[in-house]
Amino acid sequence: MRDAARMTYGRITGALGKVLAYLVMGVFAFMTVSPIIWLLVNSFKSNAEYRLNKLSLPHEWITVNYPGAWRIGEFDKLIGNSVIYTLGASLGIILFSLLAAFAFAKIRSKATAPIYGSFVIGILLSIQSLMVPLFIEVSQLDKLLGDLFQFLHLMKSTDFHLFYNSRVGVLLIYIGSGLPVAIYLATEYIKSIPDALVEAARIDGAGYFAIFRGIILPMSVPIATTVAILNITGLWNEFALINILVSKTSLQSLPLGILRFSGTMMADYGKQFAALAIGMLPLLIFYLIFRKQITKGVAAGAIKG
Amino acid sequence: MARTVAYRRDERRAYWAMVLPAFILYLFVMAFPIAISIILSLSNFNGGKMFGGERWRITGFQQYAKLVADPQFWLALKNNVYIVLISVFGQLPLGFVFAYLIYRRIVRFGDFWQGVLYMPAIISVIVLGIMWNMIFAPSGLIADVMNKWYANAFSHKLDVILRASGGFNVTDGFVHRIVDISDPVALQIFNDPFTELKDIIVAYTPGQLAVFRSDMVNLLAHKWSPDFLSKADVAMIPIMFVTLWCWTGLYLILFLANMQKIDVAIVEAARIDGATEGQVMGRIVLPSLSGVIVNAAILCISGSLNSFALIWAMTGGGPARVTEVLSIYMYTNAFHGAPHYPLANAIALSIVIFSFILIGLTKLVEKRYGGRE
Repeated sequence: MRDAARMTYGRITGALGKVLAYLVMGVFAFMTVSPIIWLLVNSFKSNAEYRLNKLSLPHEWITVNYPGAWRIGEFDKLIGNSVIYTLGASLGIILFSLLAAFAFAKIRSKATAPIYGSFVIGILLSIQSLMVPLFIEVSQLDKLLGDLFQFLHLMKSTDFHLFYNSRVGVLLIYIGSGLPVAIYLATEYIKSIPDALVEAARIDGAGYFAIFRGIILPMSVPIATTVAILNITGLWNEFALINILVSKTSLQSLPLGILRFSGTMMADYGKQFAALAIGMLPLLIFYLIFRKQITKGVAAGAIKG
Repeated sequence: MARTVAYRRDERRAYWAMVLPAFILYLFVMAFPIAISIILSLSNFNGGKMFGGERWRITGFQQYAKLVADPQFWLALKNNVYIVLISVFGQLPLGFVFAYLIYRRIVRFGDFWQGVLYMPAIISVIVLGIMWNMIFAPSGLIADVMNKWYANAFSHKLDVILRASGGFNVTDGFVHRIVDISDPVALQIFNDPFTELKDIIVAYTPGQLAVFRSDMVNLLAHKWSPDFLSKADVAMIPIMFVTLWCWTGLYLILFLANMQKIDVAIVEAARIDGATEGQVMGRIVLPSLSGVIVNAAILCISGSLNSFALIWAMTGGGPARVTEVLSIYMYTNAFHGAPHYPLANAIALSIVIFSFILIGLTKLVEKRYGGRE
């Protein structure tokens, strides 16, 4: 009898708890999605209508904001640059991190402890805090190289850009900043590949680069995918570094372009919203397609310290 | 013997060929900037050429003294602490609870909730910052909604008054009642609200009722203005809210993935033995995730100490610099107006040092209280 009473009591609190859980979850989810939907809806309003009503649905759905924003914001260029930076740097990070990880994990050397250790410390360092010294470094290097080339009569002016205001500079710095986490993940992963595989190939006379290509690379696809996902989502949205590395509009990436656009188009809200929508749609679509992999990659790659 | 020497040489060559590209890039991006930062923060270098340009020299710890004496530095530090606090004590617990609800299937469709809550983290913080600015701005969404609401309330009250006096009948009582429902702030434009308002109202004819109503609403209804957001202390609230909004999903994913590694049998057995959900969470799930939580806290601290882009897009550190955090304070010192590179580098180093101190503290807490894995 008492047991039965306890059971019903438990069931009631359980049901109440469930309702409460759904409520909390629902409210937070609604708060998460509603501003984003609000943004998308407003991109179909005219400027005049947005000024009059900011919350409700548009009386007249218009699409002209999109081509307008696309043209004024030069989004074809921005997206092109973003694709170059994101894919180029991600590929570089994967290649360099796998190479180094292979060496750390499978070739014995006294240098591994200090070098690998320094990479692990680098995970803790957030590169945003270094944006000022980084800017000074790249601009001073350009000045040095410019002087050198002029001294060697290779160039007439000293206005030389290899690192600042150059795609190469952005790619190098993106690759360097992504390496610590990638190397940590890849090294831990490659350590789990049996040594015997590598040794057997060595005895058969294979060189290390052949082993890398033939054994390590194919077996590292899962970790390479994780690294790729982390870096594609991270670099596509990267702002702090490229903001100090690039001032030429023709080299800007999507986040830089959007901020510039919203600064210059303060008065035209319709186009602003369209620009914001263009800015978030590529990754949102990427997320819808690869949600499972992204979730897994983020959970695996969220390491610091 | 000769063979092993050749073998070793081959091995060493391969090792360096594989490690050096990564290591050089790493030095270029992380180690050199730190070295530059240390040197310049102790110098009087202010632009130009570092080599062969104007002379500059090491001047000692002046910049750090300047930093400590600058109230703006302490404000930026305080704002940063707010963000660290909301991240560690907001994002982490919320993410943990949401993850637990999904893990224990207390709510169904876990995949859906997870997918929705992580969405903001995938969108550029520049887009999100501008979006939230349009929501919180003085002429933004919230102000618009609030003002429409006040206007509606006012016009309802006006209707009641009109009905009570049987239409548009300008009497002293009528004007008095309008004064009563008016916003005190709006009335401040008058020296003598009653007489002046009466003069205005008398000018309307009964046929202009619609015009009269909309004019009265515009003139006398309460107007919501978010000017409290320009005051230090409160100005950070929207930014803290957006920080919470943006990254809670990340910790949900992180915690959920690690909860799913816990042996199901343990949890089931505890439930059968009569443990409540609260006990399962506190005694089983929480302890077995302690390492992950410390990791998440470190990720959280270093992320929030370096938060730049979101705030930059949302407020730019304004209004009147009250929402500046350390990274924005550094940025404005380096790139706005005359460059103060030494000071900016001192700030950069202080951010690095702060994050190491906080991370060290977190690890210490883990050693003291955690470690049941």
